[in-house]
Amino acid sequence: MAQFLQQLINGLSIGSVYALMAVGYSLVYSIMNFSNFAHGGVIMLGAYFGFFALTILKFPFVPSFLVATLGTTALAILVERIAYKPLRERKAPFLYFIISAMGASILLENIVIATIGPTFRTYPQIFDRSPITWGPLAIGRLDLLMFFISAFCLIALILFIEKTRIGKAIQAAAYNIKACALMGVNTDRIILIVFGLGGFLAGVAGVFFGMKYTVYPQIGNITTKSFIAAVFGGLGSLPGAVLGSVILGTLETLVAGYLSSQYRDLIAFVILIGVLIFRPSGIMGRSMEDKA
Amino acid sequence: MDWFYIQGILMLAGINLIAVLGLSLLTGFTGLFSFGHAGFMAIGAYIGALMTVSPTTTPAGLGLPFFVGVIAGGLGAGIVSYFIGRITLNLKGDYFCIATLGFGEAIRLILNNVQIFGGSRGWPGVPYKSTLPAIILVDVVAVLFLANLVRSRHGRNMVAVREEELAAQITGINVFKYKMIALVISAVYAGVAGVFFAHYMTFLQPKMFSLTKSTELTIIVIFGGLGSISGSVLGALILTALPEVLRAFEIWRLVFYGAAVILIMISRPKGLMGGMELSPGGIRKARAERKARLEAQREMKQAQEGEIRNA
Amino acid sequence: MKRAIVSLILVLALALVGCAGGAKNDTIKVGWFGALTGDQAVWGENEFNTVKMLFEEYNTAGGIEVGGKKYKLEVIGYDNKGDAQEAVNVVKRLTGQDKVVAILGPNASGNAIPIAPVLEQAKVPGIATVATNPKVTVLDGKVKPYNFRVCFIDPYQGAVAAGYAFDKLGAKKAAILYDVSDDYSQGLREFFKTNFIAKGGEIVADESFNGGDVDFRPQLSKIKAANPDIIFMPYFFKEVALSANQARELGLTQVMMGGDGWPSDQLISMGGAAVEGSYFVNHLDYADPAVQDYKARYKAKFGKETELNGYLVHDAVLVLVAALQKAGKANGEAIAKALEGIEVQGITGTIKISPETHNPEGKDAAIIKIVGGQYVFQEKYAAQ
Repeated sequence: MAQFLQQLINGLSIGSVYALMAVGYSLVYSIMNFSNFAHGGVIMLGAYFGFFALTILKFPFVPSFLVATLGTTALAILVERIAYKPLRERKAPFLYFIISAMGASILLENIVIATIGPTFRTYPQIFDRSPITWGPLAIGRLDLLMFFISAFCLIALILFIEKTRIGKAIQAAAYNIKACALMGVNTDRIILIVFGLGGFLAGVAGVFFGMKYTVYPQIGNITTKSFIAAVFGGLGSLPGAVLGSVILGTLETLVAGYLSSQYRDLIAFVILIGVLIFRPSGIMGRSMEDKA
Repeated sequence: MDWFYIQGILMLAGINLIAVLGLSLLTGFTGLFSFGHAGFMAIGAYIGALMTVSPTTTPAGLGLPFFVGVIAGGLGAGIVSYFIGRITLNLKGDYFCIATLGFGEAIRLILNNVQIFGGSRGWPGVPYKSTLPAIILVDVVAVLFLANLVRSRHGRNMVAVREEELAAQITGINVFKYKMIALVISAVYAGVAGVFFAHYMTFLQPKMFSLTKSTELTIIVIFGGLGSISGSVLGALILTALPEVLRAFEIWRLVFYGAAVILIMISRPKGLMGGMELSPGGIRKARAERKARLEAQREMKQAQEGEIRNA
Repeated sequence: MKRAIVSLILVLALALVGCAGGAKNDTIKVGWFGALTGDQAVWGENEFNTVKMLFEEYNTAGGIEVGGKKYKLEVIGYDNKGDAQEAVNVVKRLTGQDKVVAILGPNASGNAIPIAPVLEQAKVPGIATVATNPKVTVLDGKVKPYNFRVCFIDPYQGAVAAGYAFDKLGAKKAAILYDVSDDYSQGLREFFKTNFIAKGGEIVADESFNGGDVDFRPQLSKIKAANPDIIFMPYFFKEVALSANQARELGLTQVMMGGDGWPSDQLISMGGAAVEGSYFVNHLDYADPAVQDYKARYKAKFGKETELNGYLVHDAVLVLVAALQKAGKANGEAIAKALEGIEVQGITGTIKISPETHNPEGKDAAIIKIVGGQYVFQEKYAAQ
């Protein structure tokens, strides 16, 4: 029983890492209808921005956090302007966006390797690493903090989208971007804001990932999992992304803990594909046929 | 320039080309985007190796001739793809992508665990059988088959599926069937490419067939131009050679590669040869189009001048 | 569009022609390759730097004498991203176009195995640094004529780890956590497992993760429930530090043990208290007086500490230079012949390349314990 509870805690903690990353995917997807693979690269740079603000600039945590998140916000917008905007103007099919995004992701990872170097780096210890223990159970303090911060960010994001004027415009654009443009909404600005928000979340994810684990140029690879979680939850749906991430994290953990760690990803994939057969648009995704 | 080195690059380009041609049918002509074709290559490679590796080595094979391996590898990948297709071809867009991604990763994971093929430690001792003439021969056959297929009724139906799936369905095209045909053929191509790859490397390791390999193949197809066979050929040649040309730049190499991919996408979004072919017919067609365009321009100019004169 | 193609072809042609420079006849060209990008880039960079530094030192001292004539040494190094296919391309380029006489590296077994037929065709010997898979030099009982290495091999390392854990540390129940997607990790796990069981020990948990994972708590929680005496962790230091931290967070207090993927400055800075009291099998003792000079020179030149790979590529260079002098000419075939049976005093011990296996004979493993954030040498240990 203790082991089961511990595994549930482990799963939730892994799931909350996926969730922070998956929301960025889903946000961009809801507007642009393509999976922004450059997101992983932006997350990775967020981790580096935070790291350098803490170590070289010797900033305290909060300013470093701001440096990192503002840096990634700017970076995400920059990527959009360079790699996607020209495609948007040509109305290129979604495949081109994906390839361009992959190019951007290769570019970001290797710029870091070429300039900063391939070595991984450790964040200075800001928070107490010792876990909170409760009988045989252990919960990392950082895990708890991360859980609350991601929950906070997600709720703030959802409120922003539901309650503000800009949020309404984003919703409208997500529903039908062409009609939205015809109604006089500046869709270019909406897209900019969405990428900015995605970039901000990438910064949050990057800093926490770096603190919890470590900083290295291939952090972006881990986002494959969060991409899967976003698809699983239903691309374009923010609650779906969170739900998908938590389910994927827990599923993986329980498979590794009780079935086989060797075949963990295989079993997780099979279950995911099984879910997709019965719900082809993910758990909370809207049907693609609607748009046809 | 040294022939030994060039020959190696050409062989790799030729092997990549086989897989790219298949993917070109799937992505370029039918509009399905796969992230898992390295998985089909892996199936072909391992089945091919199982046929040809001598029974006396460990892990052991059957010691059969190379052509048996090629046929078995292609067939094996094709059969697996049929079952994968049954399950996943009803998924749309990114959901199909994710299913293929999952498939590719799953194959790698299984191969990592299965010790009879050496697990992640790999399988050395695959005989060196991929010669340049053999690869070129297979490439030519693959191109001819594909060119005839896309020009047939079936090929046009596939393009219809790509352009407007719903409309294609309404006009009575069996969308699922054509997606399936494209998937199976592309998997057979990938499987054959895998067999040649195995017998070129003489060593197999699951990590050779990673997600990166799958995306590389897709990038080549898009780079060459969707719906163009000659584009795929050019794409495979150029993109296999490009990292070699950039090799002198050491660590900056992949930075340039990434930048080049973005640059090509934003400056020439149809790829090198989008929708066009380098064949006598294709060139005639392109010429005729150009002539018609020039003619139209001239007429327009004349008309404008006429208007000015009239005014 | 046509212009685009033409210009691309031109660029290609130019780049290819530009690369084929003429060779001066008073320099010997040596190839090196490894990962300068990708997740193994740390080790690649360290090796390449070491080779450059040593060659520079030879050249400032006037070069080396081969067959009665002084030659300068030049290294041509390429990145292969740690990828097997690129390894084959690179070796074809080094041997075909750059006409090197020998190749140093690679460090990964998965890259060293596929280049064997290329080396054989080109008749150029390759000296692998830390490629520990037995099949790098010997396949089906036959030695590969152009593949050599300067490190011990996995079966030996696994036996040493299992023997030390069972006999010296008194562990009866062991748990293993390994990287299923990595050839090195899977190899070590296999040899540890067979040797530990052969000694009468019991493997109570055998768990794996997938390369690129950063969270190991599901597996560690399971290992905790199995209550082993020792945890064997045969993988590289980034994952070691992460998994050690997580193990301690979960309340695992067992001794941890690993292989030659552990030693690094990063392990201590990342793993901190979590790896205190752990043991690992290494190629050398860092406090050995023989290695201090190299360590200091490296730090002075590049401003950072050398990694394990640097020591081994250092010895690979020594072996190569000795073979060049013994062969008396800069020719791949002659060097390969000279390498067989050569004996060189390296910084990682005496290296005597066996003609039967092309492995260094009788290289003892060093057992290192982490005490107070330092790598403390325990003893030279040979597996029984």
